[in-house]
Amino acid sequence: MSATTIWAVIAGMALVNFLIRFPSLAVLSRTALPAWAKRWLSYIPVSAMATLVVGGVVRPDGRWLPPFANPYLWASIITGVVYWRFRSFLGATVVGVICFLAFAALLG
Amino acid sequence: MPDDMIKQDACPPPRARFVRGLRLGLPIFLGYAPIGAAFGIVARGLGFSPLQAAICSGTALAGAGQLIALQLLGAGAGAAAVVLTTAIVNLRYILFGAALSQHVTRMSLKQQAFLAFTLTDETFAVNIDDGRRGRADFASMAGVGVIAWSGWVAGTAAGALLAGVIGDPTRFGVQFAMPAMFTALLVAQAEDRTHVVTAIIAAVFAAALMIALPDPWYLIVAPVLAATVATAVTR
Repeated sequence: MSATTIWAVIAGMALVNFLIRFPSLAVLSRTALPAWAKRWLSYIPVSAMATLVVGGVVRPDGRWLPPFANPYLWASIITGVVYWRFRSFLGATVVGVICFLAFAALLG
Repeated sequence: MPDDMIKQDACPPPRARFVRGLRLGLPIFLGYAPIGAAFGIVARGLGFSPLQAAICSGTALAGAGQLIALQLLGAGAGAAAVVLTTAIVNLRYILFGAALSQHVTRMSLKQQAFLAFTLTDETFAVNIDDGRRGRADFASMAGVGVIAWSGWVAGTAAGALLAGVIGDPTRFGVQFAMPAMFTALLVAQAEDRTHVVTAIIAAVFAAALMIALPDPWYLIVAPVLAATVATAVTR
């Protein structure tokens, strides 16, 4: 792969990613939104996280995994329970990764 | 957060609030570093120098978007196609920026630009959660952003420099670090019954749209539909 292609990808990704992130934040923070729009926005974080969890757990790497042979699913359930019980982001993540390795070994 | 042990004084100075943000974001650092290392290893294999890999992570901070970019480059795609695909994968950040906008109304454009630069799935969720508790401000959000950025870039550099030594990063469970963080952040966001139901609706939409739509559109459409249903029902 040529150095030109690599630098073009680096520059393009940097530019595009900033242009995606910045305008909505800057413009809407200066706009008076109606109550329903604020309420709609308040549901985006939980909806987005649920979507990301489903995508990352039931179809990791683009492959659908059957529930009983899916280490991502079982490790994710334990991660959620650990966070719910102890409210520790780090603890839940570490326990989750350890459980994932154990489930992956058990379920093949 | 997250961690109830982290308290805030009545009016701490900016430095203390920044350090508090660093502590809030420390788990993100620890989660990003191994995934960044995986990116660095793969990038080296495709011909990136360690410096190019680190600059890519430091300027894009695009997580899954970067890994997909490498996949496309490896398959022989051109630069324009790679950049366009990354943009589509990360379109959800438009939604995230919109949701975060309601927590940054008193900040300057420069401060907002910095926060936009460090906006990722995880910094977004941590800052939103902190903001809902009335604790987040620019200094704390900047702390979260800086530590997350550091983890991603340091991990990338380490992976690119030590690619031969580390070998296959999946034997350490790196592939589950992101889903684990998303799961913990989802539980953190599910603060009441309405949010729990909204999460379930989003999950159902996501599963259905993963089948019905080409990737990665479900990432944008599912949250939009779920938030719309929740807004309509709770009117």
